[in-house]
Amino acid sequence: MFRRHPWIIPASFLALPLLVYFTFVILPTLNSLYYSFTDWVGYGADFNFVGMANFEKIFTDRLFSNAIKNTAIWLALAMTAPTLLGLALALALQGKRRINTIYKSLFYLPICLSPIIIGIIWVWLYSPKLGIVNLFLRSIGLDHLATAWLANPNTALFAVFVAWAWQQTGLNMVIFLAGLTSVPTPLVEAAKVDGANYWQTLVKVIIPMLRPATVVVLALTAISALKSFEIIWVMTMGGPFNKSDTLAVFMYSESFRKFKMGYGSSAAVILFLMTLVIIVLYFRQTAAAEELYE
Amino acid sequence: MNVRKYFATALLYFVLTIMLILFMTPVYGAIVTAFKSQAEVSAGGYWTLPSSLAAENFERVMDPEDGNLGLYLQNSLLLTIPASLFSIALGTLAGYGLGKYRFRGDGMLFILIVAGMFLPPQIALIPVFRLMNDIGLYDTLWAVIIIHTAFGIPICTLVMRNFFQVAPNALREAALIDGANEYSIFFRIMLPLTLPALAVLATLQFTWIWNDFLWPFILTQRAESRTVMVGILNLTGQYTVDWGGQAAASLIGSLPTLFIFVFFQRYFIRGLTLGAVKG
Repeated sequence: MFRRHPWIIPASFLALPLLVYFTFVILPTLNSLYYSFTDWVGYGADFNFVGMANFEKIFTDRLFSNAIKNTAIWLALAMTAPTLLGLALALALQGKRRINTIYKSLFYLPICLSPIIIGIIWVWLYSPKLGIVNLFLRSIGLDHLATAWLANPNTALFAVFVAWAWQQTGLNMVIFLAGLTSVPTPLVEAAKVDGANYWQTLVKVIIPMLRPATVVVLALTAISALKSFEIIWVMTMGGPFNKSDTLAVFMYSESFRKFKMGYGSSAAVILFLMTLVIIVLYFRQTAAAEELYE
Repeated sequence: MNVRKYFATALLYFVLTIMLILFMTPVYGAIVTAFKSQAEVSAGGYWTLPSSLAAENFERVMDPEDGNLGLYLQNSLLLTIPASLFSIALGTLAGYGLGKYRFRGDGMLFILIVAGMFLPPQIALIPVFRLMNDIGLYDTLWAVIIIHTAFGIPICTLVMRNFFQVAPNALREAALIDGANEYSIFFRIMLPLTLPALAVLATLQFTWIWNDFLWPFILTQRAESRTVMVGILNLTGQYTVDWGGQAAASLIGSLPTLFIFVFFQRYFIRGLTLGAVKG
C-alpha cells in the first residue's frame, strides 16, 4: 500500500513540529537532569556542578521522605477509589435509556472544570463552621465527626484527595464506557443462556474483556496522580505541617519558594523516573495486548 | 422474576440518584452562592437558594477597579486560542508525516512523541523558566503560548496520525497519478477530510489550556499577563471571606469550558477516549 518515498517528503512535514517539540519539551527535560547535578539558585548564570550531592542530600531530607510517603498514600488511593467508582458507574449507566445520557453528562461534568475552581469550591464544602460537610454531619447527630477537614493534620490529605477523585471518577467512567462498547453482546448473551447470573457474567466475562480499558485507566490515573499539584496547592499548599505535601508540591516549594533550583530539579528527576516506570509498563502492556488480539 | 428485575432497576436508579445529588452538591453550592447578595451570604445561608438573583458579585469581580476579571479573561483567550491552533497545526503536520509515510525509525519517533503526553510538567518547569528568562519572553503570554503549543504536540500528533492511517488512500493515489504534488494533496484533499478530528482536538486543547494553572503561574507575574485561573486564585486571597465573589469568579472562569461541554460534548468525550484507548 505504501510506496517508498524519498525521505525528504515526510521530513518536510515533520521538521517544524519536531523542532518545536525538541526545543521546548525534550531539551528542557534533559536540561533538568543536568540541573539536578548543580547548585543553581534560580538567578544569575554562575552555578557549580555538584555531582550526586543533591541526590545524597534528598534521601536524608525529612521533608522529602514525608513527601514520598504522602505520594504513596495518594497514589494508592488514586488507583483504587476512582477506578472502582468509575467502573461501577460505567456498568450502571451503559444501557441506552435516555435517562442514562443525562446522568452520564452530569457525572462527567467535573472533567471540564479547572482544578483551581474545583479546589476553591471544595474549600467551602470543608469549611469548619459553614461547610456543607460539617452541616450535614451535625444535622444527622454526628457532631463529634465534624472537624476542620483541611486544617486537621489527620484529614487534610484525604480531604484533598476526595476533591481530586471527584474529577477523576468521571474521566475513568468515560474510558470504561468506551471499553464496554467493545465487549461483544453475543458473548454476554451466551453467558446468560448458560445460566450465569449478573455477577458471574460480570466477573467471568465483562471484567476480563475490559482489561485494555483498565490498563489505560490505571496508567492515566497513576500519572495524573503523580503530577497533580494545582488542587493541593489551592486547598492546603501542602499543609498543615506538610501533611498533604506530595512530591509535586515539594518540587515546587523547593524550587520556586526556596529558590533551590538545583535541588528542586533532583526532586523533578525522581518524579520523572517514577512516571517513566509507569509509561514503560503501560507501553509494554498495550503492545502485549495488541499482539494478543492480532 | 419480572418483579425482581423491576425492583433491581428501581433500586439501581435510587442509588444512582443519591450519588448524583452528592456529586452535584459542589456545583449547586457554587451557583447559589454566586447569585446571593453579600448581605445574604454573611447572614450565613450559604447552601440555601438565593432569595433573589443578585448580580452584584459578578459586577464586583468584573470591575477593573476591583476583581479585574475582564482583563484576565481576555488574556486567557489571547493565550488559549493561538496555543490551541498552533498545537493542532503542528500535530496535523506531524500526524500526516507519520501516518501516511513509512521511513526508517518512524515507529521510534512516534513513541518518542506520544510519550510526551505522559511527561509530568514538573520535569521541564525549571529549564523552561530559565529559557523564557534568557530569550526575554518571561512574563509575557507568548511564553505560555509556546509552551502549550509544544506540550500539545503529542496528543495532537497521536489523534491525527491515527486518523490519517485509516483515511482512504484511493483519492490520494488518484491525485498522485494526475501529477499533483504531495503538498497540494495534503492541503486540498487530506486536510478537508480531517474536520471531525480537528473538532475533537479543538475541544480538548481549548479545555486543557484554558484550565491550566501551573504554566502561567510559573511563567507570568504582572497583572497585565495574568490568566484567568491565576487571577481567580489571586482573588481568593483578596476575597478571603467573600464566598459570593469567589463563586462568581469561578462561574465566569468556567463558562467557556462549560459551553464546550454542553454544545460539543460528543467531540470532547470522543477526544478523551481517542487519546486514551488507542495509545
